[in-house]
Amino acid sequence: MLVRKIEEGTVIDHIPDWKSEVVARVLRLDNLSRLEADASVAILQNVASKLLGRKDVIKIDRWHVDESEADILCLIFPTITINYINEWEVTKYAPQVPDTIEGRVRCPEVTCITNADREPVVSKFATLKRDRSLQCHYCDTVIEFEEVPELVKA
Amino acid sequence: MAKPDLFERDVVSLRDFDRGVLELIFQKALALEKAPKSLDGALEGKLAVLLFFEPSARTYSSFQVAAETLGLRVSGFSNPKSSSVSKGETLYDTIRMFEGYGADCFVIRHGMMGAARFAAETTEVPVINAGDGRREHPTQAMIDLYTMWKAFGKLDGLKVGIMGDLRYSRTPSSLSYGLSNYRAELCFIAPDALQVRPEVESFLNRQGVTSSKEANLKSVAETLDVLYVTRIQKERIPDPTEYERVKKLYEVDLAVLKDMKPSLKVLHPLPRVGELATEVDSTVLAQYFAEAASGLPLRMALLNMILGGEE
Repeated sequence: MLVRKIEEGTVIDHIPDWKSEVVARVLRLDNLSRLEADASVAILQNVASKLLGRKDVIKIDRWHVDESEADILCLIFPTITINYINEWEVTKYAPQVPDTIEGRVRCPEVTCITNADREPVVSKFATLKRDRSLQCHYCDTVIEFEEVPELVKA
Repeated sequence: MAKPDLFERDVVSLRDFDRGVLELIFQKALALEKAPKSLDGALEGKLAVLLFFEPSARTYSSFQVAAETLGLRVSGFSNPKSSSVSKGETLYDTIRMFEGYGADCFVIRHGMMGAARFAAETTEVPVINAGDGRREHPTQAMIDLYTMWKAFGKLDGLKVGIMGDLRYSRTPSSLSYGLSNYRAELCFIAPDALQVRPEVESFLNRQGVTSSKEANLKSVAETLDVLYVTRIQKERIPDPTEYERVKKLYEVDLAVLKDMKPSLKVLHPLPRVGELATEVDSTVLAQYFAEAASGLPLRMALLNMILGGEE
């Protein structure tokens, strides 16, 4: 299966097999055309991988994923690697689990102040790396890394 | 070592307070109990704003009397129905409004968890959390700890049973955080559905606190130094038959207490609704009215330290 090389954009590699849809949801790729009308996306699923046996790959033409977004992906799938392409040149980026995540993840606790109507408050979580979980800065609710895809804000 | 300083400090969570600061507050409260008039008027001319987004009589009155005895002017509301909140005003806007009126400190009760943390980030003025949803009620826990500290002369080495609705009540979490500063052993006594929240348990584990969970009091009764009773709230157990069954397991009366240490102290943040029999009141075990009375000197000492009043 061939997908042509891209001149500008991002390749998200080493996604566990059949998990590319989760990555697409976290990155809100369905909204990408609003940000870059000419961007296009190729999703490869269950391709052979030396490292993982089988993997998914996402190629995004003409769009660079923010490093902070890549870091959120790394919470969920630690094997993920990112390649940024600039004028055919490849730059590797190793995502890091961030110490805090602000504004991207919704707190599942309905009575958390971050879910209050019209309060100008931005959600904020500290990462508890050893426990593979996040803790809400405001209400202390703890969520597992695996729950993050369902809680990423649209 | 520098003395712990509370000047202009927020009181959002008891996790933010170490034993040095807590014991300084206890010492100041004790000094005030010995000389009750010593801080009268110490904060004259300053303004305390009490914003109670949930109706409250007892905590509101306690802060109001404490503030007024210190000479503070008091503004705000004890019931959101009597404020612009009933028209939909946000916490953020309410704080900014009263900040403009010259507030020197805020005391806030709110139904949403984390409201006090958000309030403290909204204003430079010190914020005291008087209860934020089911998350925390740090000044109540300071009063609970102060009551134990006075009764035993120490907090290290005590085995404290915290019983009742530990999942939806705010005082057990603050009390647990406070006790994590001491070599105390915690025992959470509750039905599974109302057991201590995971974030509290995980904090205690990280701090290396010895704790256990029990479904009934009987199994640990004779080992406890303190029994901290909270109410099982009816609305948390939808099945009325199940509620009646569970409620009975966590009721404390003289028959229950007869198997416990003679030196046991029984605490309750009050109000009580049947879970603690009035026949216990006249025994030496009962500490809850002394606990309630300690609220005034402790909150006065705290306000005075935060607002830098003369001593």
